Amino acid sequence: MNTYTSRAIEVLLVEDNPGDVRLMQEALKDSKVCNNLHVVYDGEEAMSFLRCQDKYSSGVPEPDLIMLDLNLPKKDGREVLEDIKNDPALKHIPVVVITTSSAEEDILKSYNLHANCYVTKPVNLDQFIRVVHAIEDFWFTIVKLPRP
Amino acid sequence: MKNAERKKLEEERERLLNELKRSNKELEQFAYIASHDLQEPLRMVSSYVQLLGHRYKGRLDKDADEFIGYAVNGTAHMQLLLNDLLAYSRVGTRNEPYKLIDLKSAFDKALINLKVETDGTRAEITHETFPVIYADEVQMVQVFQNLLSNAMKFCKTDTPLINVSSEMKDDEWVVRVKDNGIGIDPKYFDRIFQIFKRLHSREEYQGTGIGLAICKKIIDRHKGRIWVESGYGKGATFCFTIPVKRQGPAVGDLGPGGINGAGI
Repeated sequence: MNTYTSRAIEVLLVEDNPGDVRLMQEALKDSKVCNNLHVVYDGEEAMSFLRCQDKYSSGVPEPDLIMLDLNLPKKDGREVLEDIKNDPALKHIPVVVITTSSAEEDILKSYNLHANCYVTKPVNLDQFIRVVHAIEDFWFTIVKLPRP
Repeated sequence: MKNAERKKLEEERERLLNELKRSNKELEQFAYIASHDLQEPLRMVSSYVQLLGHRYKGRLDKDADEFIGYAVNGTAHMQLLLNDLLAYSRVGTRNEPYKLIDLKSAFDKALINLKVETDGTRAEITHETFPVIYADEVQMVQVFQNLLSNAMKFCKTDTPLINVSSEMKDDEWVVRVKDNGIGIDPKYFDRIFQIFKRLHSREEYQGTGIGLAICKKIIDRHKGRIWVESGYGKGATFCFTIPVKRQGPAVGDLGPGGINGAGI
């Protein structure tokens, strides 16, 4: 089923809150799929990572999946999403928007900007972990991803 | 001179109106932003207190487990309050134009949303005819849903019996939702429509006290009135009115004067 057993899944997490980063790491810790979690803390850094620019100019792997928070310093998650989906070199990478907001306008806006899915971070820890596992399960084992 | 005075008064009126609009808008935004932006730090507190609980339960001492339990409950309650505050502030920020709707379809949709409760309580919900009105249908569904849900929740041990009826009185429709529940002491008739005001402990009847406040805000927006007729232990009848003539912006207008009270 899993076509990626031979190599690790590269995940880019764009998240400004260190508490959320740690929660994500905790949730992915006992992951069945080998994954490399890369973390960037704002939208500009995310674009630098994806385009291998600035401090990432020595080269970083292209992520198989991007987990994107919406409210970020400097460049906001919606702008990051727009840039990714307007860039022919990046638009094939699935973007999971994962945010606190459950506002309808944020949901609609994200899908209009071609987010691949939109998830609200649950307040309850067990639910949060379940959601991260569900994302993992779906994107890393069920879905066929483009080979870089 | 007279013209100049009138002009001045008009200007003053215009200024006050704009001021009122601005202040109302600011209030709506305040509640919306507050509840949104407060979610984030709350989620942190809540998640990490839960993580503490998972990882260290039984490894500190009995007091620590108890304290963590209270902290977890507190964050869960605050989450409910914030969501409700958000829902309440959203009532006023919706800009859907009023359409001509059959109130029966709003009632039916509310019943579908309440299937779990109606099955669980085995409530018997009956209804008479419904009017066709100018309204925001999503909000009318919400009104029925909140009123019916309360009618089932605040019920004595026996089966909830609920009847919904409506009649035209003067230039408005009066809709009544009557139940056989525990009823309400008349001295609390105003209090129950205020946000987060409750008459029972959360252990007795769960909820935050938002349902009726939302109903009132919706009905106010529709230029109607909402009230309750009851006595303690005698069941309650919640009544609301909707003007027969169209109020506010609308699409699908039938022409001047609105509609002629067509019952279904």
